[in-house]
Amino acid sequence: MNGLRAISLEFIRRRRLAIEVRQHIGLARHLAVILAALCFGLGISIAILVGRGVDIDSIYEEFVVFTFFNAAGISAVVVESIPLVLVGLGAAMAFRVNFWNIGIEGQMFMGAIGASIIALFNIGPDFLRLPLMLLFSVLFGMLWALGPAILKVRLNVNEIISTLLLNYIAYYFVLNQLFGPWKDPRDKFPHGEQYELSERLPEIGWEQVHYGIVVAAIAVVLVWWAVDRSRFGITSRFVGVNPRMALAVGLPVSVITAGSALASGGLAGSAGFVIAAATEYRLTFTMAAGYGFSGIVIAFLAGNRPIPTLIVAFLMGSLYVAGESMKIFYSLPDALVGLIQAIIVLSVIASEFFVRYRLRLAHFGSA
Amino acid sequence: MDLLTNWLAFTPVFAVPLVAAALGLIINERAGLLNLGAEGIMLCGALVGVIAYIEFGDNVALGFIFGTIAGLLLGFLFGFLVVVMRTNQVVTGISFVILGAGLTGLLGIPWVNIAITGINPIHIPFLTDIPVIGRFLFGQDLVVYATLILVVLSWRFLFRTRMGLKLRAVGENPQAADADGINVEAYRLFAATVGGAFIGLAGAYLSLGMAKIFVLDMSQGRGWIAIALVIFARWRPWRAVFGGILFGGIEALIPRLKATGMPIPQYYLEMTPYLATLAVLIYAAIRMQGGQDAPKALGTPYVRQDRT
Repeated sequence: MNGLRAISLEFIRRRRLAIEVRQHIGLARHLAVILAALCFGLGISIAILVGRGVDIDSIYEEFVVFTFFNAAGISAVVVESIPLVLVGLGAAMAFRVNFWNIGIEGQMFMGAIGASIIALFNIGPDFLRLPLMLLFSVLFGMLWALGPAILKVRLNVNEIISTLLLNYIAYYFVLNQLFGPWKDPRDKFPHGEQYELSERLPEIGWEQVHYGIVVAAIAVVLVWWAVDRSRFGITSRFVGVNPRMALAVGLPVSVITAGSALASGGLAGSAGFVIAAATEYRLTFTMAAGYGFSGIVIAFLAGNRPIPTLIVAFLMGSLYVAGESMKIFYSLPDALVGLIQAIIVLSVIASEFFVRYRLRLAHFGSA
Repeated sequence: MDLLTNWLAFTPVFAVPLVAAALGLIINERAGLLNLGAEGIMLCGALVGVIAYIEFGDNVALGFIFGTIAGLLLGFLFGFLVVVMRTNQVVTGISFVILGAGLTGLLGIPWVNIAITGINPIHIPFLTDIPVIGRFLFGQDLVVYATLILVVLSWRFLFRTRMGLKLRAVGENPQAADADGINVEAYRLFAATVGGAFIGLAGAYLSLGMAKIFVLDMSQGRGWIAIALVIFARWRPWRAVFGGILFGGIEALIPRLKATGMPIPQYYLEMTPYLATLAVLIYAAIRMQGGQDAPKALGTPYVRQDRT
């Protein structure tokens, strides 16, 4: 027994795990690792669900069959993805220049407030109502990102904390309005007055998909043009990769950082508009819940690029739809979708390790 | 007068979660780790604390111990991910916030909204009965005093021991620390784990000491306020106490102002801790002008193999 231990100790002593940087990363390998990570994350999520009494077969039924194999499911996913595309693009715009905008939910609330001001006070003629609401939502979202942007470039105040604190401030402001002056005059519930027909995004004619899809499409094209085709895109990539160098060669780093933050806030605001004008038909205090983290997750998984953002947002939308039906079926809490997202993100970012590095059993000493 | 006495008496109760979490974050950040997951870790500490308390038959000590262990494990997991697996610290931290909210939301249902006795304040004859400041100074629960001891211990550890010096070296300049033979990864993992335990304790105090109940999402941004508090405290344990008392004072004032029936809109009152945090952050930024007090390597990964 002792001899065996001595031998095994000797074995361990002469060999250790060495971590090496891979010189070349193949696309196939990269995809395989990410896929494995997704499966790992989903596996843990399913294990937790089964632990909470969810039937495995019904996960397949609810998640895969209902969500992907009929038109109602697919259209529900599309509807869910519309605001997700907008928050994903919003997060990506800011993350590209290392501005960690955690304040997407607050900016969404502000966007919905901007849209609701137009709707509540009946500003503008009917046919201009929706464009005005969109414009105001973007401006209000930008306004909510302006403070952290200025604080970041002028005083170097950590934007993670400032944007996050503004989430709470926006949330309590919305509560104040909804329990006070903006309470629904009809049913006295703490949500805003319902929008009139001219203030709602109409449906395009396929299932429940609405014209928010056009807003999202325009946003994708604009962001794609801005980051891939414009001068701003090239300079901002430089700023994102190496801000010190960018400053040294005379690029307007502050302007680009602040501009990206504003674009991020504007996109988040437009997501608030889409939810208010196409899903809720009013201002509510639950409308932004979870979208901030979803935006971060989507941007991160999509590598801050606009086209992959579309794909990831669609997948995230299917998670939303499946999670929604499971929540109702098994009376699971709202935190469910976020939990699955967090587990998947942690799995995927941890898997990057196996893409970048190679583990090797190194031998040394005389054998 | 009663308002003042009560306000002072409850200020430490609201300060403890902030100070304990800030201590944990100072240990993390001094080693160069930015743990944004404090909010989620606090929630887990709060839930596990209540579960242990109830399941072991109203046992306060075990409640705090298990809440702390929950934080320790999550802190270790955070450290493992960012130090060993080299994940992005910001994304990992934010994911931990959602992970904590999700886990407590999904698994905590049986223990939610159960009122408990929790930990009780001590009473020392005469001292506690001193008008106005008696309860503030001598009428707190034991964890309040324990937190003060933890402040002393972490200050001594960080600034008066060889290990603390090495830990700070890892946070300032990991390359130099590595060249000096300090195991950067081990120190960071250690800091993440110990720091997580502090944050877990802060969470357990939320449910067992402050609210005496577990409510979903009860941390209410305190993890984030603690992160701001660390900046305000310029990464020094003692200053975190002052910051904690300042914010604890604001939080303790809110329910008392509400009770007086003053005509202040409720939701603007609830907003004040976040506004105050923002104000303090701006104040700290103006004073520091560029943040030269922050550990130099804060938030940056250290990978020896990537060195060229």
